[in-house]
Amino acid sequence: MDQIDLALLDALQDDIPLVSRPYDVIAARLDIPTDEVMRRLRGLQERGIVRCLSPVLDSRQVGLTATTLVALRVPEEKIPAVTRLINAYPEVSHNYRRDHTYSLWFTVAGKDEGRIREIIEEIKKRAGLTDQDILELPTVRRFKIDVRFSFSGISARGVGNGRT
Amino acid sequence: MDALDRDLLAVLERGLPITREPFAGIGSHLGIPESDVLDRLKRLKSEGVIRRFKARIDQRKVGILANALVAWRVPPGRCNEAGARLARCPGVTHCYERRPVPGRWDYTHYTVHHAGSRRDVEAEVAKCAEMTGLDEYTVIFSTEELKRVPAVRVRENGGELQ
Repeated sequence: MDQIDLALLDALQDDIPLVSRPYDVIAARLDIPTDEVMRRLRGLQERGIVRCLSPVLDSRQVGLTATTLVALRVPEEKIPAVTRLINAYPEVSHNYRRDHTYSLWFTVAGKDEGRIREIIEEIKKRAGLTDQDILELPTVRRFKIDVRFSFSGISARGVGNGRT
Repeated sequence: MDALDRDLLAVLERGLPITREPFAGIGSHLGIPESDVLDRLKRLKSEGVIRRFKARIDQRKVGILANALVAWRVPPGRCNEAGARLARCPGVTHCYERRPVPGRWDYTHYTVHHAGSRRDVEAEVAKCAEMTGLDEYTVIFSTEELKRVPAVRVRENGGELQ
């Protein structure tokens, strides 16, 4: 991982140009040969830093109009089982364990609020939780949704193994 | 949106090939010319079905190890303005307004922060508080990523795409 890799990571967070040879465009921007862009990109993929280059689809545009964040207060010993229960739903895209009395936080997207209710009720019942153990926080408004990191701001030194 | 659009999006979900002419490769896989692939993608982009077309990055592997969800209490009447200001704060990757649970959880606004360490996240959040004048908030750090997949997967939960 050097400064060029970091600059490439920054560039790859812009939209991939919809042209016949998109890597040429990226190469020109970074002022390096296209072969080097492709070689570095393969390297970043092999190390798991870049998962893939792919379209991010808008959930609302494809009919997934109801989205919500759910927080559950789950006793420590039940966390693995409840996690399996939550993660099994294709409607759940993100699930994090957090440092809080509400220990599991996950997002659900569904075709309507009814489907979301159904999922939450199922999880509640199967996990043996009460209403007091659940925070349901439906989206009212999205102010910012595009994740973007600034990598070239990071020093190239000491970066890259991802271990804590 | 037709069946070919869906097939195209499903193929691209696995990632754009790293070849000189990647869209031609996608086209030959689907049995259509490169120009058709590009035209379809441009249309899907202009329709808003494709929000972005970019790298999915595992930021932890680049040393961005700390992640926090911050819940903010926003005075009534400041919802739009505070949301817009939070969204502009440096380091904020997501900003949402959500319905509260009155009496039990009165926070209405949420930001997501990623940084090298918890201390860096805390500094970033303190800056946000200063910039917005919001002083009631709670920082909820993640300790484990249990699931993280794209919000829309064409074949699995694609709504009208399925």
